[in-house]
Amino acid sequence: MSLADFQSNYFQLFDLPVDFAVNLAQLGARYRQLQKELHPDRYAGASAHEQRLAVQYSALINEAYTTLRKPLSRVLYLLELSGMTSKDIAEQHIDGGFLIMQMELREKLESMEGLIDPETVLEHLVTEISQDIMALQKQFSQAYAAGDMSLAASACVKMQYLDKLLQEAEQIESRLIDR
Amino acid sequence: MALLHIAEPGQSPLPHQVKRAIGIDLGTTNSLVATVRGGRSIVLPDESGEVMLPSVVNYTDAGAPLVGLRALALAAQHPADTLMSVKRFMGRGSKDAINDARRSHYRLAEGEEGLVRFVTSSGELSPVEVSADILRVLRQRAVATLGGEVDGAVITVPAYFDEAQRQATKDAATLAGLRVLRLMNEPTAAAVAYGLDNAEQGVIAVYDLGGGTFDISILRLHKGVFEVLATGGDTALGGDDLDASLADWVLQQCGAPTLAAGQYRQLQAAARAAKERLSDELAVDIDLTGVLPSGGSIQVTRETFEELILPLVKRTLRSCRRCLRDAQLQTGIDNIVMVGGSTRVPLVREAVADFFQCSPLIDIDPDQVVALGAAIQADMLVGNRPEGDLLLLDVIPLSLGIETMGGLVEKIVPRNTTIPVSRAQEFTTYKDGQTALALHIVQGEREMVSDCRSLAHFELRGIPPMVAGAARIRVTFQVDADGLLNVAAREEITGSQSSITVKPSFGLSDDQITSMLQASFSHAAEDKLARQLAEQRLAAWQLLEGLKAALAADGDALLSSGERAEIVAQMTALRALLEGVDADAIRTQTERLGRQSEAFAARRMDRSIRDALAGVSLDALDDKVSQ
Repeated sequence: MSLADFQSNYFQLFDLPVDFAVNLAQLGARYRQLQKELHPDRYAGASAHEQRLAVQYSALINEAYTTLRKPLSRVLYLLELSGMTSKDIAEQHIDGGFLIMQMELREKLESMEGLIDPETVLEHLVTEISQDIMALQKQFSQAYAAGDMSLAASACVKMQYLDKLLQEAEQIESRLIDR
Repeated sequence: MALLHIAEPGQSPLPHQVKRAIGIDLGTTNSLVATVRGGRSIVLPDESGEVMLPSVVNYTDAGAPLVGLRALALAAQHPADTLMSVKRFMGRGSKDAINDARRSHYRLAEGEEGLVRFVTSSGELSPVEVSADILRVLRQRAVATLGGEVDGAVITVPAYFDEAQRQATKDAATLAGLRVLRLMNEPTAAAVAYGLDNAEQGVIAVYDLGGGTFDISILRLHKGVFEVLATGGDTALGGDDLDASLADWVLQQCGAPTLAAGQYRQLQAAARAAKERLSDELAVDIDLTGVLPSGGSIQVTRETFEELILPLVKRTLRSCRRCLRDAQLQTGIDNIVMVGGSTRVPLVREAVADFFQCSPLIDIDPDQVVALGAAIQADMLVGNRPEGDLLLLDVIPLSLGIETMGGLVEKIVPRNTTIPVSRAQEFTTYKDGQTALALHIVQGEREMVSDCRSLAHFELRGIPPMVAGAARIRVTFQVDADGLLNVAAREEITGSQSSITVKPSFGLSDDQITSMLQASFSHAAEDKLARQLAEQRLAAWQLLEGLKAALAADGDALLSSGERAEIVAQMTALRALLEGVDADAIRTQTERLGRQSEAFAARRMDRSIRDALAGVSLDALDDKVSQ
């Protein structure tokens, strides 16, 4: 097992099974344990070569942890491991019903700032989007387990759409804070 | 003075191996130095018992600059020669700094690449040089107290400092003759000072209202690992602004007379003193004799003061709210650490307690807590602490991006990403036979390049000529544990390494640093050579010692007998060179041995990944509670 192997499979780095379901407590504990061993701070008195290596290892551990911790990046990573490119994923067919639903959500978001109590409305909307994302995660998990990569990829694209909406909601929230 | 070291049985290295490590809080208003002795972090006083060194330098006399209280005493008499709050100018261009400079009554010169330079009676000076003069005094204080040259220092910076401001701080420390072990974020340092003493677990918010900057950080502490979850703040808001709003109010009450530079300085000092007294009293009189033409005195109540500063306090809470959201917490805040003298103001304490629904920790002096934490980290980095008892995982405060078509920013490393981080991006050529590619790196959260901070222009040269779009240039952006950026580029098809020219938008190039260092050593060229030799010897010695231990532990398991013999031969060659005084030869051989042993080092790290994971499954059970 070497750096190259760990680079090619983040699950291996944390000694976890390649699956959507990840034990976050275990992931966090292993992440901290690895950084305790390999963080550049552990090599502050070492040679310049070793220090450079430590930065590379530590950066890889951070990258792997970040990727596996968040459901959306984990989903994208699983698809990538199964051989799909980002182009393959982007070309998935998305049903019209979903597109209409997310356009409606977007319109609601955009008309937010004129409301009397935008905070409460925004909170409801964020809850709604988050619940939809949870449902899609479940869909992905089942499709992935059944080996239906096309269905898994389309669930992933929908998650990307909704994640973008969540980010926009956050930006609106941040503007409301500054008001 | 003898170094007293009390070691816990079986934990600490032998006393003769204890190294002199210091933590320095290079503040806008005051600077401090601390060290760990007998397992406790303590601040070091000067010969008259003062712990805080005012961050003020006077350059009226062309000889040695005056630093601290002696400089402060000359502030009213020589305002343009007495530089204070220089931290506000670190790593900034003249254009950004012009308003601050006007307010402080400094004369600015137009420097190279738009760098700020102050015009004084002793010539033009950069903020880096002024900061180096402050750091030099602290280093001398440490040398005198610890009885020998300092082995390494951790310098703190506001968490919200950008790349250029961090680089400028590191340059200043180098110029002051310090070996910088790490730049450390101030709030993280404060959390360490509290966390280790109190063995805290859980989520900590650090509210740091310094003299010139405001920082807020949220961290999770878990068995000695400090994980910064989010950080935010305002580099243009600090305790000085509280003083200024009171000073401006006094001026208004007195019919807004025009003041000379020195008088305004005095008024600010009077306002600061009033702010401090108002923490304990409900009303105070500000004596204006000699400060204002009219003289006399004016009464200010705590209530008036609170009205004046409320907008500023609210501004800090907005940053807190954003940071709290960035941290994406599932639970509340368990503790708040207060940093900076201005957090003694009752309104600030109440507002923060109310916002986080938790009462702030104040048992460590808010002026000292940052330096105390930095000393603990320095002690760990030089190898004085048992391994594994402390680890800091910090984040990058502002997003890093590159300029794309139409002046837009493409983010490469988003803010609050844990460092070190490495991200690669592929670029291609758009013209046939194109051999160079220009990249513009910016830092900030906005979409347009013009709204972000320009960090550097990179030029990749030596791309092999190909048809447009055929070259695949992989550019790797790496942010190290100090939060500093390194860039490397490689053409993927031919494997040719592109050379990179870095033109920092602000800050000093390595050449400039070298020439400044040379200038400061020019009176003693021999010193410089001796210093180089000492540095090369230290690097060689570190490598040899490390390898000796590594070979003893893992040489049999991880190396073939041929590989081992090769490394041992190179080690012998390096040891022979260490007998002599040829610094260049030592450096070359150190480099060669370093490369030779790199694969061995990598194998050891690979194995420590496997070893680290054996046995952590049990720990995972406790983790569920905190997730």
